[in-house]
Amino acid sequence: MSISPDHVGRRYPPTDVYVVSQAKVGEFARALGDDHPAYRGPRACAPPTFPIVVAAQAWEQMFHDPDLGLALERVVHGEQSFESRRALMVGDEVTATLTIERVRTRGSADWITSVAEIGTLEGEDVSRVRATFVHSHPHQEEESR
Amino acid sequence: MSAAATVTAEQAGAGTELPATTVHLTRADLIRYAGASGDFNPIHWSDRFATAIGMPGVVAHGMLTMALAVKAVTDWVGDPSTVRVCSTRFTRPVVVDELDGADVTFTGSVSAVEGTRLTVTVQAVCEDVKVLGPTRVEVDLG
Repeated sequence: MSISPDHVGRRYPPTDVYVVSQAKVGEFARALGDDHPAYRGPRACAPPTFPIVVAAQAWEQMFHDPDLGLALERVVHGEQSFESRRALMVGDEVTATLTIERVRTRGSADWITSVAEIGTLEGEDVSRVRATFVHSHPHQEEESR
Repeated sequence: MSAAATVTAEQAGAGTELPATTVHLTRADLIRYAGASGDFNPIHWSDRFATAIGMPGVVAHGMLTMALAVKAVTDWVGDPSTVRVCSTRFTRPVVVDELDGADVTFTGSVSAVEGTRLTVTVQAVCEDVKVLGPTRVEVDLG
């Protein structure tokens, strides 16, 4: 099988619960060289792109979906956006639910847009993490092997 | 850097420019980001792997470059929890030399003001090449 526009709308089950921790927020901020005090302490907020950590767990479902036949070594990250009602905060317990929103073929690649909806266990929508991946088709010689 | 919000929507009209910042990235920074983000793709730490798939060498995580572009805005705004939207396209790789690293320069300006919402558009340049498409960061200062 290979990915096609027929897969638009495919929705995966929510990921395991992710608990935003003070340690992980601090580690992520340090990795950005960001020493802002808002990222420290038990009431810290997470950096604006932190939801990627949760979304990436949902991407795994899509990347390993046998129906899509994605070859990870031919996937690159093309576009990324975050739309957030608020910052994630230390103590938030969230899941990510992934939907394939769009599939387009341009030249020798498929452009796959996915949306991970990140929400709390209480049902609050926090962030929509939209990622477009470019999945290159294999070269002719690879196919004939 | 100040913890308090340093910018208000009234002060920052469209066209207001952010101070340019340059971030020096090293291989250690990429490894640190890999650990923090969970993205262990070898293209970000193995030259042999990166060159085998056609890259000049190890490249930075696009998400790291994006996060630094957003940081240029949050450093200026003061309060990072005000960010509501950020979006970008990954157009060119940031090649991080094993010894010399790479310098990425971020410039930006306010592209729209709507009530308490400011949109800042950031450009990221490495070796005179734009490595991200225009990165839009929308903050709500209300």
